[in-house]
Amino acid sequence: MIDHLTGTQFPPQDTHEQRLIARFQQGDPEALATLYDRYVDRVFACAYHLLNNREDAEEVTIEAFLRAFERAATFRGECPLLGWLLVITRNLCRDRQRQPRLLTLEPEVADRHAVRASALCSTETALAVQRALEALPEEYRLVLMLCDVQEWDAREAATILHRSVQATKSLLYRARRALRQQLQDTWNREDATDAM
Amino acid sequence: MRCNTVHALLDLHLEQQLPEELAQQIERHLMRCAACAFEARTLEQTRNLLRAAIPPVAPSPSFRERAAARLQDALVPHLHPRLEQADTRQWRLPLLPED
Ligand SMILES: [Zn+2]
Repeated sequence: MIDHLTGTQFPPQDTHEQRLIARFQQGDPEALATLYDRYVDRVFACAYHLLNNREDAEEVTIEAFLRAFERAATFRGECPLLGWLLVITRNLCRDRQRQPRLLTLEPEVADRHAVRASALCSTETALAVQRALEALPEEYRLVLMLCDVQEWDAREAATILHRSVQATKSLLYRARRALRQQLQDTWNREDATDAM
Repeated sequence: MRCNTVHALLDLHLEQQLPEELAQQIERHLMRCAACAFEARTLEQTRNLLRAAIPPVAPSPSFRERAAARLQDALVPHLHPRLEQADTRQWRLPLLPED
């Protein structure tokens, strides 16, 4: 089964999902609610990582479900429903990025770079990682966020990135090495300063 | 196993997606090749640091509720007419608390 928009191959859907989709297409409100509950996190994360802004991502998430529900009858089941939803979300994000904005808003720096001192790493380390990410090309950042942070399947990430699964994986592998290089450079510089 | 083969398989090894036998061959190589061991360790550390520094995003519970309410408002009039006779409370998405 191939998603013609991305050339991505998906495994066949399970029958439970197929029944749910059939009910969704008939306008069954419980099926709508179940699908919303199942996929809202993915749709939101997709929008958030494309737009770098929580408020915009929330708007797009609602629009994406509205559009999906409105167009339920046109869903042909050629790809999994999640893939279809993610394509809708990606297109809405692209439209939103093209819109001239009344106010020039900075990307939501405070949110995107929310530094959380966690048990897992110090604030200083977290900051260094975030700066290193900032220095990477957009698509490297995106693939790292989707695959390594959100732990998405490469097939789902491929839908967002408009690439084949194989190309997505090699992008991910390059991105990991680029991030490592950034961190090594940062800490090399630090060590050199300390030594002076 | 050669160094360049190890390098090419490191990501899959890190993701634990290799068959057991191949994974063991890599582990044996990493025990005796300092360059590949460094490559493997720094790659793994990079991924661990990334996960530790950046928490995954999720919509806030208040957003989930607001969104469910807006979807319900927008969609109820368009739902299949066959279902219109049903008790209106059934339209409520189960995500919303009953009030
Ligand atoms: Zn080696």
